[in-house]
Amino acid sequence: MKKILIVEDDRSIVSELEALLIHAGYAVEILKDFQNALEEVLKILPDLILLDINIPYLNGEVLLQSLRKVSNIPVIMVTSRASETDEVLSMSYGADDYVTKPYNPTILLLRIQAVLKRSEKTLDTVSFKDAVVYIQKGMIKKGDIEVFLTKNEMIIFNYLLNHQNVIVTRDELMTDLWNNNEYINDNALTVNISRLRAKLKEVGLGEAIETRKGMGYILS
Amino acid sequence: MRMRDYFQDKLGLLFLALVSLVMILMLCLAFKVPLEAIWAISCLYLFTLGAMFCLSFFKKKRFYTDFIQNMERLDKKYYILETLSMPNFYEGKILYDGLYVINKAMIEHVKNYELQMDDFKEYIEMWIHEVKIPLATLTLMFHNRKEYDKKVLEQLRRIESYLDQVLYYVRQEFAEKDYLIKKNSLEKMVNNVLVKNKDDFLENQIELEVRDLDFDVFTDSKWTLFILNQIINNSVKYMDDMKDKRIWIFGSEDESSIYLHIRDNGIGIPLQDIPKVFEKSFTGENGRKRSRSTGMGLYISKKLCEKLGHKIWLESREQEYTEVIIAFAKNDYYQVLER
Repeated sequence: MKKILIVEDDRSIVSELEALLIHAGYAVEILKDFQNALEEVLKILPDLILLDINIPYLNGEVLLQSLRKVSNIPVIMVTSRASETDEVLSMSYGADDYVTKPYNPTILLLRIQAVLKRSEKTLDTVSFKDAVVYIQKGMIKKGDIEVFLTKNEMIIFNYLLNHQNVIVTRDELMTDLWNNNEYINDNALTVNISRLRAKLKEVGLGEAIETRKGMGYILS
Repeated sequence: MRMRDYFQDKLGLLFLALVSLVMILMLCLAFKVPLEAIWAISCLYLFTLGAMFCLSFFKKKRFYTDFIQNMERLDKKYYILETLSMPNFYEGKILYDGLYVINKAMIEHVKNYELQMDDFKEYIEMWIHEVKIPLATLTLMFHNRKEYDKKVLEQLRRIESYLDQVLYYVRQEFAEKDYLIKKNSLEKMVNNVLVKNKDDFLENQIELEVRDLDFDVFTDSKWTLFILNQIINNSVKYMDDMKDKRIWIFGSEDESSIYLHIRDNGIGIPLQDIPKVFEKSFTGENGRKRSRSTGMGLYISKKLCEKLGHKIWLESREQEYTEVIIAFAKNDYYQVLER
């Protein structure tokens, strides 16, 4: 399980962020001692840091700078300061991404996922049950049977693959699709999911996607 | 400063001098001074008088001529003191010193306001950043409790949008240089705004058609995001419920510019209102009918565009469509920088 460190001094936002991340399947650590922030961070050694700019004692940019001298831990700056200068400055100090508050929670999770993926070797193929999924090609292969997915279907399936065994809401799927420049509506999403199911059935995975009424879908 | 005006001004003195000359002459006659001596006295007197006037005239002429001319030429009149050299006669010095004191007092006065303005601007910016924290917390809270109502999030989005309006109003009004121009992908910026407004589109069943956005433009992305958000909010706000609601977003280019078009098939804008939509606080017929319009969104957008060097304009026909177009100049200067 990936470990994410939250560096943020507003308590209520910390607890909500924690809930969001835990639900998404991450382990969460929270920085408590801002006075010795750098030592604390290095002690915890997270896989990714969500770093606010306005933190006590030293600001986030300074912490990032001193962190970059000793470590390459991916950092996403999360801040309410929405100015290009702040963003460029943060990126030049070595931040991996920059998100402004208030953010769409699903988008934040997608950004985290993207940064984590970048920091490890990207897997182009994923195996699911006894089938192999070629993400770039949009193909599922089982034995001799090959099924090709459309772009939309692949986005949906990929999202489900990344969130196996948890309920994925339609809103999350929709956000991911829109985030990938596919501006579809509710009906189109329903159609895409039923097409995806039909294609999965061809490789013997007909029951893989379950509908949870009023909540969403679950891949298991 | 003209000789004639100067003499006209000194007419009283001149008159007094002549009276005294006449009296001197009369005295001379009474004491039976020889005629030659009287001639000599008169000549000497008149010569001295003339010399005195000329001397004082030319002494002042240079200073006042400069003063009058520079005052006319100067665009910012309060810089007048900077253009003058210290005069070498008494009244001139009084004027010069007076101007100096006035100038200083005025600068201090203005500075005071500037500082107040800066303080205010800084406070507003800080305040908005602070308000955004609970806003972010609320968004997360509703997201975490899965049974949330989408309508709540929509209202939070609206609050955010109005907050941004204040933020960017303050920025464009008081900030000399609060932006940074760099290369940005048009597609990414549009995507960012569309994802942000996703629920609004889905809720209102608005179809989106997005194409030909594979361009890079030189701009401040945060400012552009704000502008796009305002335009798209307007499109959503002024939709026609009688029709299949639709928004088209696409790019185009020619030799000089890259254009971003945002077109909707909403209620359109009455012909007489079109020239005024970018004015401050203009609401127009649509704003009154739909009753939730501050008339600031497009005004601020236009101002921001002007600062960034982009052009923004709008075409519309009532009941048919509205199309907002932003032109990003292809600036060779920036391209050189890129290389």
